[in-house]
Amino acid sequence: MLSPYTVLDLTDDRGELASMVLGDLGADVIKIEPPEGSTSRRTGPFLEDAPEPERSLHFFAYNRNKHGVTLDLREEGGRRALLRLAQKADSIIESARPGEMAAMGLGFEALRKANPRIIYVAITPYGQDGPYAEFAASDLTLAAMGGPMSLQGDPERPPVRVTVPQVWSHVSVEAAVGALTAHARMLKTGEAQFVDISAQTVMVWTMLNAMVAHAIHGADTNRNGPVLQMGSLNVPVINECADGYVLVFGTGPVLAKMMPWLVGDGIVPPEWIDGEEWQTWDVRLFSQQPIRYSLEEVTEAIRRYVRPYTKRDLLERGLREGVTIAPVSTMEDVARFRQLEERGYWLQAPLSNGGQAPVPGVFARLTKTPMSVRRWPPKLGEHNLEILGAQEQR
Amino acid sequence: MSDALPFDGLKVADFSWIGVGPITAKALGDHGATVVRVESESSIDRLRVVGPFKDGVAGIDRSQFFADFNSSKLGVTLDLKNPAGREIAYRLIAWSDLYIESFTAGTMDELGIGYDTARSLNPGIIMVSTCLMGQTGPAAAFAGYGYHAGAVAGFYEVTGWPDLPPDGPWMAYTDTVAPRFLTATVMAALDHRRRTGEGQYIDAAQIEMALHFLAPQIIDFSVSGRLATRNGNRSDSAAPHAVYPCKGEDQWCAIAVESEAQWKALRQAMGGPAWSENSKFQAASGRLENQDELDRDMSSWTKTMTPQEVLQRLQSVGVPSGVVQRSSDLLQDPQLAHRGFHRYLEHGEMGVVPYAGHQFRIAGYDNGPRWASPTLGQHNEAVLREVLGMSEDDITEAVVSGAVS
Repeated sequence: MLSPYTVLDLTDDRGELASMVLGDLGADVIKIEPPEGSTSRRTGPFLEDAPEPERSLHFFAYNRNKHGVTLDLREEGGRRALLRLAQKADSIIESARPGEMAAMGLGFEALRKANPRIIYVAITPYGQDGPYAEFAASDLTLAAMGGPMSLQGDPERPPVRVTVPQVWSHVSVEAAVGALTAHARMLKTGEAQFVDISAQTVMVWTMLNAMVAHAIHGADTNRNGPVLQMGSLNVPVINECADGYVLVFGTGPVLAKMMPWLVGDGIVPPEWIDGEEWQTWDVRLFSQQPIRYSLEEVTEAIRRYVRPYTKRDLLERGLREGVTIAPVSTMEDVARFRQLEERGYWLQAPLSNGGQAPVPGVFARLTKTPMSVRRWPPKLGEHNLEILGAQEQR
Repeated sequence: MSDALPFDGLKVADFSWIGVGPITAKALGDHGATVVRVESESSIDRLRVVGPFKDGVAGIDRSQFFADFNSSKLGVTLDLKNPAGREIAYRLIAWSDLYIESFTAGTMDELGIGYDTARSLNPGIIMVSTCLMGQTGPAAAFAGYGYHAGAVAGFYEVTGWPDLPPDGPWMAYTDTVAPRFLTATVMAALDHRRRTGEGQYIDAAQIEMALHFLAPQIIDFSVSGRLATRNGNRSDSAAPHAVYPCKGEDQWCAIAVESEAQWKALRQAMGGPAWSENSKFQAASGRLENQDELDRDMSSWTKTMTPQEVLQRLQSVGVPSGVVQRSSDLLQDPQLAHRGFHRYLEHGEMGVVPYAGHQFRIAGYDNGPRWASPTLGQHNEAVLREVLGMSEDDITEAVVSGAVS
């Protein structure tokens, strides 16, 4: 889809998924690393626990569909080479500190001089300017400043982030959206575009219904453990089962189909089946209308029902009978989830130790322009000669 | 041309509901597209019945959960089970460049407005179907929300404390991930169509998008057998790396020391307390090994200050730190104010309320939601008359027959 376009990726570990998204969508991506390699090559986990540039599974996960070159932008020759690449490119994505690229003579103004139709996307923690623009930041501190942490975790303990860093992944994919939005605008104006993306605002959007809650009903939403907070109601959804946990949310359709299961296992008396209009029970619960059985009674029945079964049993019975029960998957459960296997999701990727590993496949299925992985992540400087030519090689 | 909106002229028929579809369509609407959001009165968008409700009073036109995801749209209510309602759906599909739906796999075919119908009405159309697990496969009919997909995809397993049940990320987590991928995909498909005239069908499984956010850990499992799991706020490579209690009620500051220079700067900012000179805290490895003690000592310092005071002290020496902010903090956050993030828009029922704004700014025009979300059926007549060009007689008939309600 994006095959006519060339994207220059100057980002480090905070932005590499942005150009991978564009690459998966067909763009020709040139990843430009400093001679010592992107910071993501030093980000774990590592293949065989060896912290080497070609063994970072983080780099491996987020750099497919890219050519790889090295340029030293601290040197005049490197900067000249970048400007030359920019003349033939359509967009450039960087994740340097605000002003850092401009100080090297590679800011938006310099790039648009080189290419008057360039799309320039700048990824930073807080944006290019403003009172927090210079703040030091990380995944943890941005999950705090953007708000989602205030919603996560046990109320008796500190707020928690998602242990696996998520912030820069959110920011990167949103940066791809920014690049394509700006591209659409460039088509209308014929002019270069500058996109300023702030990780803080990206994280605000992970708060969903809690983003502006205080201004709407006069109260903040606070973390409250493994419950769904629906307005003023706390709905427990995580239940222990025989080999882990499952998430069950008693929506109307789920409860209507689950009632015979609960009765069958002797969890609730048979009169429960017809004793309530289960299809609309949740809508009435949330909109403060009358219900026959309380949230507590229903929650307790579900909790007791699932306890003796395995995650897999519950998922499979749910799939057969149209009841939504979600296993709390470990990475192993994810890797073995039948749905993904049957859809041919996993792709076999060659590892630097000669082995292979299944990796997440394309993120959408298109009938006319199917996405694909045309090349696996580049070795450091792999395409220097091909792309930079002999003199520029570093 | 300098104030041109990127998607001005684009026509979107948004038949989706809840999170992923509406957020995707909203992104296009906020940036200039004409988006007609189709709703059903008999099967109300679930977000309309979940708060936060304006002033805490429940009502289908009072939920900001719904409103934030449906800015810059025209709202129409159709009864798709009524033949005359379906006729109007046909017209909308024929009118549109992009048709989005997010129901359980197969639903649109059952309603008679699946891709085959859409393509016959409009050969160049791009149609998007997005659901949790995709249109095919043994779990295609798995009907749920973003927290279900979040659990199945592994995000619950990796959020919370190691000694407690999984906590999970906030709410319908995959609804925060999938719209980003889907919006990018749709924009790419639109660019392809602009150049070639070719439309197509897109099957976007929300789990398949979200799993990219756990890709290194999934690959790690398959090469090493290691199972990533929840570990509070700790990091494998950095310490201190935690959220510390501060002065005030439930006030917290996150601190992440990721280099030796930052550790040195932190010690300086704390005034070099004796504990921090302990040899076991000299190297990152020692700090990682003795984190319980380190965190206790750090807390004794942070507790004497408000989180803002801790932040100011640490930022002045370049140590990554951040206040754990709530909605009320965000509404007053000077950086968000500087970016014009919150937009105060007038809603038909709620009056003027803030909307969460844009995550990126494109220089040269005003980036933000253009108008408040529609109340249920707010633009019924306007859509029929102005978007679809229907005659007054046809409009009256549509209303009388119950096609539009």
